[in-house]
Amino acid sequence: MTKQQAQVTEWTVREQKDRLDRRANFFILDVRNRDEFSAWKIEGRQTPRMLNIPYFEMLEQGGKDDFIESIIAYTSRELVGQLPKDQPIVAVCAKGDTSAYVADGLRQLGYHAVNLQGGMRAWGNFTEINPVTESRELSVYQISRPARGCLSYVIVSDGQAAIIDPLRHIETYLDMSRAKGFRIEQVIDTHGHADHISGGPALAGQLRRPYYLHPYDAIHPIDMLPARVSFEYLRDGQPLAVGKARIQVLHIPGHTLGNVACLLNESYLFTGDSIFINSIARPDLGGRGETWAGLHYHSLRRLLGLADTVVVLPGHFSSPQEANVDRLFMASLGELKEKNDGLRMTQASEEAFVQYILGSLPEFPPQYVEIKRVNAGLLVVDEEKASELELGKNVCALAQAYAADST
Amino acid sequence: MSMTFDKVLDARGLACPMPIIKARQEINALQPEKVLKVLSTDRGSVKDFQGWAQTAKNITLLAQETEKEDGKEVYVHYVKRVS
Repeated sequence: MTKQQAQVTEWTVREQKDRLDRRANFFILDVRNRDEFSAWKIEGRQTPRMLNIPYFEMLEQGGKDDFIESIIAYTSRELVGQLPKDQPIVAVCAKGDTSAYVADGLRQLGYHAVNLQGGMRAWGNFTEINPVTESRELSVYQISRPARGCLSYVIVSDGQAAIIDPLRHIETYLDMSRAKGFRIEQVIDTHGHADHISGGPALAGQLRRPYYLHPYDAIHPIDMLPARVSFEYLRDGQPLAVGKARIQVLHIPGHTLGNVACLLNESYLFTGDSIFINSIARPDLGGRGETWAGLHYHSLRRLLGLADTVVVLPGHFSSPQEANVDRLFMASLGELKEKNDGLRMTQASEEAFVQYILGSLPEFPPQYVEIKRVNAGLLVVDEEKASELELGKNVCALAQAYAADST
Repeated sequence: MSMTFDKVLDARGLACPMPIIKARQEINALQPEKVLKVLSTDRGSVKDFQGWAQTAKNITLLAQETEKEDGKEVYVHYVKRVS
């Protein structure tokens, strides 16, 4: 087995992302069980063709005692004609172990098969850094987890930095700080997140710098319990300085009660979970959708009162197709007013907007209540559990975005 | 819940696909109507055993439980060979 495995070529998640970005031809054979596959799969600007055959079906229906022999028997009997001979086939499973056998079996049959190193777990944790703007006066970086659709930001001015919505793996920001020579002075969460575990308290705690949060989001909305994290209060209109740059805090309740946006130098708007590129945030993850949808309406209208030239940098994306050519998820407020359905609905009455939004809510992932507990410090989880809670793509936007993107 | 069983497979610490590969070998060595109890620390094994039981014609998944052991979760699967 060891000898055979050594022959298998692996792709790192970085290599896979590069191929997805340049729309390279490859095929995905996903061997996870059918539920896992239908809940969450690899996506790109142009999603490759893929096939889902659970590994235990290959094992059982291949009928051999040895796993690789079963894969070979099953593939040559059942999959001939379904797998391409002229392009790479990447075998994918949950953690990258089982798919290594599958890739090995396929290679023995003459396919150009490779294994996705670390599987969907590694893909879900993969982090990418892309500059929005870079100069001595002001640099802004968009840090993303492409498989989850989570976005966070690093603002640097004059060697000082603020981190907005840091993701769970805080090494990303600490490594950047060393490599680019800036000092992280403050950490801001635009709201208490439901879909992913914030790196905010850990990052701020380790650096002994303030962690900013709006106090309304320091109460778990379903448990009605106060957070056990130490934080500094954010309030509407509050100015924050990052080197020579200036941030103005805008309290925009709707997605959460303590939701804020950060306006940087009156040019960049970090919208957190309010305005996305193709959609808007849902108001129901605190369990009070009917009540909060109206707040959301007024908050969105307030943001739309800013200049059309303001650049929106959102907290999430729903589809990789929302990225521009520089891999960035950003657009001017003016552009979004034209093309974003949720924003267009704010031109209607409050009643019509609330009706629209409540009719467009996707499923409420049950683990979101638990993730909010973790972010409020009410629940402590290990890496294994954290990875499991964060599995899959965020569902923080209205459903329309997904329907539109699946075409 | 206390299920009766005829053999135990300790697959704790083994990563996917080993729990199912080993369980399949054990099942094939058992007589029909005998029950194999499998212990696994791989959380993915819960759904995978369900899928395997649907695919394999000669087994039934009688029950699944989660036990706590030193703060770690152990997933227990009872697989019966039916033919």
